[in-house]
Amino acid sequence: MLGLQPGSSTVVPTSAPVGHRFEPYDSNGGSIAAVCGKDFCIIASDTRQSTGYSIQTRYKPKVFRLNDKATLATNGFAADAEAMVSRIRQRLEWYRHSHGRSMPLHAIARMISTILYGKRFFPYYVYNILGGLDEEGKGAVYSFDPVGSYEREFCRAAGAAQSLIQPFLDNQIMFKNQHSTPEHTVPKPGEMSLPDVLKIVMDSFTSATERHIEVGDGLEMFVVRTPPSAQGEAIGAASVDLKAMGGVEAVGGEDEQEEGAVMVIRRELKKD
Amino acid sequence: MECSFGITGKGYTIIASDSNAARSIVKMKTDEDKQKVLSDHLVMTYSGESGDTLQFSEYIERNLRLYGIRNHVELRPRAAASWIRAQIADSLRTRNAYQVNLLLGGFDLPTSEPALYWVDYLGTLATVPFAAHGYGAFFALSTLDRYHRPDMSLEEGLDLLRRCINELKTRFIVDLGTFKVRVVDREGVREVKL
Amino acid sequence: MNSILSRFSSTNALPANFDNEGGRQDFQDSINGAPAQFDLPGTEPARFLSQYTDVDSSNPAARIKLQHGTTTLAFRYKGGIIVCVDSRATAGSYIASGTVKKVIEINPYLLGTMAGGAADCQYWECRLHELRNKERISVAAASKYLSNIVYSYKGMGLSMGTMICGWDKTGPALFYVDSDGTRLKGDVFSVGSGSTFAYGVLDQGYHWDLTDAEAQELGRRSIYAATHRDAYSGNTINLYHVKEEGWEFIANYDAMNLHYDGPGDNVPGAPGGGYGWDVRTQGLSSKLEATEGQQTSGQGGRFADEQPLTASVQPPQA
Repeated sequence: MLGLQPGSSTVVPTSAPVGHRFEPYDSNGGSIAAVCGKDFCIIASDTRQSTGYSIQTRYKPKVFRLNDKATLATNGFAADAEAMVSRIRQRLEWYRHSHGRSMPLHAIARMISTILYGKRFFPYYVYNILGGLDEEGKGAVYSFDPVGSYEREFCRAAGAAQSLIQPFLDNQIMFKNQHSTPEHTVPKPGEMSLPDVLKIVMDSFTSATERHIEVGDGLEMFVVRTPPSAQGEAIGAASVDLKAMGGVEAVGGEDEQEEGAVMVIRRELKKD
Repeated sequence: MECSFGITGKGYTIIASDSNAARSIVKMKTDEDKQKVLSDHLVMTYSGESGDTLQFSEYIERNLRLYGIRNHVELRPRAAASWIRAQIADSLRTRNAYQVNLLLGGFDLPTSEPALYWVDYLGTLATVPFAAHGYGAFFALSTLDRYHRPDMSLEEGLDLLRRCINELKTRFIVDLGTFKVRVVDREGVREVKL
Repeated sequence: MNSILSRFSSTNALPANFDNEGGRQDFQDSINGAPAQFDLPGTEPARFLSQYTDVDSSNPAARIKLQHGTTTLAFRYKGGIIVCVDSRATAGSYIASGTVKKVIEINPYLLGTMAGGAADCQYWECRLHELRNKERISVAAASKYLSNIVYSYKGMGLSMGTMICGWDKTGPALFYVDSDGTRLKGDVFSVGSGSTFAYGVLDQGYHWDLTDAEAQELGRRSIYAATHRDAYSGNTINLYHVKEEGWEFIANYDAMNLHYDGPGDNVPGAPGGGYGWDVRTQGLSSKLEATEGQQTSGQGGRFADEQPLTASVQPPQA
């Protein structure tokens, strides 16, 4: 039937099958890391978002404040991360409405796991690190794989520069492969002070920026701690003046926020 | 599905290989000797691509023999292993490389030490206290790690080999049948029944 | 909520729900927040998953790297069941974690082990803890329950190889269950990439009448053997003992410490000292000095000298 006919123009098939490759994923680079201390937790990420070799934006936050005691870092496919975070937020809100308090950290971790596993056959391409304070007020880090396998740890790096950052944290935070000498005893992991951990996190990201093309532009470090106002006399992490370090109140998450519970420190990273 | 083992002990090396000749899914022969006695104090097991194994092992056998005839002295195990490895490595860089995996078991008279070399078809050579080729390696290397000692008596060494073969009998789906076993020590090479 | 969860799901239906026993529906409804229906891609889930995920290390190009690579073992003997596992999770050749808990404490008398997809094992085995009906569920029933669930997802890309261990009315009971739907009752099982190496030590040291200390040592040493020979296994080793009163966590051992120093002093059943071949055999030699009158020279050319070097050796021309 196709072909030229006298007196008419070319017959164009109008309902031919159109081949579409189903490509529901992209990889948006960047890296995230979280480290916890005795009474605080630091959740950090760079702010670059890219696809392949092109940078889409120099400021796209990957860390989300969920409530006073929980902050979530996401990495992988940004669109999936966005969808997932909004679902998590919705569930946290529902929890508050029905229970009259924020969901505790360990419950958020289990919930994230089931949300991720609910998409076991069409996964969210997102690596998650949940950081915050547990019900005893101790710092906690939970890390997840894209389909919901999770584990509580002291520190965790994920994303493009995972293999650059994690070994550094293993050595500096977990004191792996460090040995005590008569002059110096290797400290126990998880007891470092907030300013010391901040320095290590900053070094992790500046170094990762040096050696990984998908990491750079900016650094956001969320600090979760018992707010100074909640303590009679500020001790431990609460006594650290984050404002002097450039820290500002972190926004987002549930409505009622206590001042100083979650603060974010922003730093520049190299932009080439 | 071929499998061979090598174990060194106090003053000896045990070399063992299964005795099946298979083609496709058919067992053609169950008493094949897949070893070559290369000299007074050197035995080689070979496995791999059929045809290549035979051609290569005979080539090695005859060239080492020629060396003996010309020089009235046999190569020491280390020297023989290096030369054999080089033959595989040279062959690998041609259009039709020999695909042969070897174990070389020997006894070095000047140092009074047993010698065992693990060589694969890519020309990788490793000096080892015990060795295995084929699927047997997956099952028996941990057994060897667990029970082997360098100062084992011959009977202990043979017991260890029996353990390895027993492990294959219990866990490996294929029954490899009987193993051909040779022992090399100061006195030379001899065949041993397990 | 289901409508939100399945916003994107296509018309593809899950395999028929199980009714009474394996009833996924009521089973899940009892758990607050557990998805009652999985979100599915528009295409075949298995093909889609294998394109983007890498559950069995077969597709290095896959974006979504899931954790896997393992050695786990469990064996039954007169004193109960020993359960021993490594703690390494790998994504490609990267060690994603060295602190994975591969023994899942289902309840105080049931343990599950984890090999294959970490999330699959965690999710489904954790759900087994709900199982109770006036009296403790038998290990046979719990494992059957699990195997029915995973079998209902067959062909959709689940990956798990697990051992369900416990003590019930029948005594110590051990079942192997995997995502193919296999379910085996047995005495000795090892699962994972390092399983052959673990078997190599386990089988050779195993018998029914092991003492508790001997059995624990055997489990420890078998997993150590696997961490030593299998690159996908390693880091630390977790040891559990299932007894009549329920399971007991024995200890966590660093594989490198076991190599050099062993499980420590005063550990019953352990001979003392490191497990490593090089550590164990330090100072031992395979050298055997010649005794009086034995051949010591390297001029072992007897082969060459036995036959005269003449042309007559060659066959005459026809």
